[in-house]
Amino acid sequence: MSALVFDAVTVGYGDRVVVREATLPVTPGQFVGLVGPNGAGKSTLLRAVTGGADVVAGDITFDGASAVGMSERERARIVGVVPQSQVASFAFTARAFVEMGRNPHLGRLAPLGPADHAVVDDVMARTDTAHLADERVDELSGGDLQRLTLAQALAQQPRVLLLDEPTSHLDLNHALQVLDLVRSLADDGMAVLGVFHDLGIAARYADRIAIVADGRLRPPAPPTEALDATTIAEVFGVRAVVHTDPVTGTVAVTPVVRGADLAPAPGATVGLVCGSGAGASLMRRLAIAGHGLFAGALNRGDVDHAVAEAVGAGRVDLPPFGEIGPDDARRVRDGYAAAACVVVCETPFGRPNLPNLEAAVASARPLVLVGEMGEDRDFTGGRARGLWDAALAAGAVRVATETDALAAVERITGTETA
Amino acid sequence: MVPAPGRSRRTLTLVGLSAALALAIVAGVALGAVRIPPGDVVAAVARALTGSGGGLADAVIIDLRLPRVLLAALVGASLALAGVLYQALFKNPLADPYILGVSAGAGLGATLALAALGTSYAVRAVGVPVGAFAGAAFTMLLVVRLASRRGRLDPTSLLLAGIAVSYTLAALTSFILVFDRESMTSVVFWMMGGLQNRSWEHVAMLSVMLAAGAVVPALYHRELDLMLLGDDRAGQLGVRVERFKLIALASASLVVAGAVSVSGLIGFVGLMTPHMVRLVVGPRHRLLLPASVLAGAIVLVVADLLARVVLAPVEIPVGIVTALAGGPFFVWLLVRKEHRR
Repeated sequence: MSALVFDAVTVGYGDRVVVREATLPVTPGQFVGLVGPNGAGKSTLLRAVTGGADVVAGDITFDGASAVGMSERERARIVGVVPQSQVASFAFTARAFVEMGRNPHLGRLAPLGPADHAVVDDVMARTDTAHLADERVDELSGGDLQRLTLAQALAQQPRVLLLDEPTSHLDLNHALQVLDLVRSLADDGMAVLGVFHDLGIAARYADRIAIVADGRLRPPAPPTEALDATTIAEVFGVRAVVHTDPVTGTVAVTPVVRGADLAPAPGATVGLVCGSGAGASLMRRLAIAGHGLFAGALNRGDVDHAVAEAVGAGRVDLPPFGEIGPDDARRVRDGYAAAACVVVCETPFGRPNLPNLEAAVASARPLVLVGEMGEDRDFTGGRARGLWDAALAAGAVRVATETDALAAVERITGTETA
Repeated sequence: MVPAPGRSRRTLTLVGLSAALALAIVAGVALGAVRIPPGDVVAAVARALTGSGGGLADAVIIDLRLPRVLLAALVGASLALAGVLYQALFKNPLADPYILGVSAGAGLGATLALAALGTSYAVRAVGVPVGAFAGAAFTMLLVVRLASRRGRLDPTSLLLAGIAVSYTLAALTSFILVFDRESMTSVVFWMMGGLQNRSWEHVAMLSVMLAAGAVVPALYHRELDLMLLGDDRAGQLGVRVERFKLIALASASLVVAGAVSVSGLIGFVGLMTPHMVRLVVGPRHRLLLPASVLAGAIVLVVADLLARVVLAPVEIPVGIVTALAGGPFFVWLLVRKEHRR
């Protein structure tokens, strides 16, 4: 049975509905990440669990028992919360602060017993706060306070842990420490639901990702399924490159450009000869400047391919390590021929991608050449160098940097876009 | 590990404060227009307790000085208790019954009761505290309502609303007094905060009200700690916030009503005492609450003593003494808060 279930629940504040008919089970041992744009209602969903927002319809249950109408005390023994920020204006010691988490377990007049002190010792050790025990909480840093708040929530010995942006006040080291701890709590059987802004962090630590957008909660899915480029564009309005982080092996999301920054009807098309990431940055800047783009033939899995996809650049898709066949070459040539000019980025050339450069030169459009064609770029036995020199002889503009390339493009296309 | 020192420190603090209070009471009885040796004071009390009656000298001690001094202690304790409660519930270090307007509300309620209930002593004895409680409770609700915006209580608005309501109610009280010239002088003195001509009946009444008002805070000291973390957090940690606020505010209103019924408007004791005590014992209510109650008693016994002896034989209303000390303290708090931000 699920430790925490949102059962077709509609939540809000008074008459104002924030999220409609959300359904989400969180089973023991599961870590679910809740993501979505600001104001979408992630925190409202979380707050509704502990009575901080109103349940308008549907239900929220713990092991089948409705949270609505449950006493605060009973609920505090089941669910612990780590809020986004914590007020600490009074001079409690850190230890006294953590001891407050024992409140739901204590009798009316009973002081903390040995068992309670053992729990407090344990959670302070686990959150790396034991050394702070005698410090005053109103004099601690935001990071220390956040870890103490987690310790306070763990002192409740909850079965369900709710986190609202738990690492927003933490440095990199403590953020990883806290999330590793939360992950291990989940592995030990706790049901964890956390709101995150950082999609990469959510994907790295959560088993499932549930997206809240437009007042709706999408069904949770494993990070690789939940966080694809289409969904991110739809939900956040951001064109992003979604790839697998080579270090963590989890989904990583690199935002490329806000959808709102892309021209709805792109201006003069610029061709690019790119690949291996050499064109990624220029493609982004040209797209924001309002140009339509054609990126030639690119292999799936190439960074430039992902960026071209994100900014909606025209291209010829090749399978990973696939070569440019005659048909592909013709389509590339047509693409460049339709452009106002073509920029040759600082891509290294080998036999597989040489047809892009050949097509660019053959298109007879104005060319902008970035950098030098030295031996560090030319792996074609001099053929790329030959094309480069021919282009220069035919009047191509050579620039040193990407910024200069952008200026050259604006000069060439200026009259046409005006 | 188990913080055993905490327990002994608590005992030590409370025993120390109790001893200081006993000393203050003896001094309060001994000093005055006529000085009585402290030994005689203790002996007279002992004789009265054992019932082995004494002479005229004993009567001065037992019937005149002692009830007045005990009343000062009870009023100080009540105001300090209310101050602790308000400061915790509103998470506002500047909250106290005087500043929140609750004292003025209790004053208006008591004045209305006096004006309406005629001169029967028995009716007044019950009617005045009941009127004061109604006035205090109503004022508290009014001030909270005025200071709330969408369910949030802004600390600055709370103080502004309290001060505005306080002035309005004080004006209404004065207005009523214009039509009741006979009792005007005595009521004006009462409004300034005085402890003259008080009897054992007043001591008994306030004892009962203070005891009743102290039950909830004593049982729920942990909830008071949690309230300092904010309403949401307190709820997450198991406090039934709205209900707790209501009964804690009712308790505070009860002790304020008792204090105002017997001694009028005495300001700043409820503000100063918890602050001074918190600096020494820390913010946990298990110790802060009883220590503040004892300290509040000491503060007002000493203030009343000063009020009687500084310009003897002329007596200053004790409220003037506390305001003279408390006004600058309030300013210091404000300035200190600015600096810390």
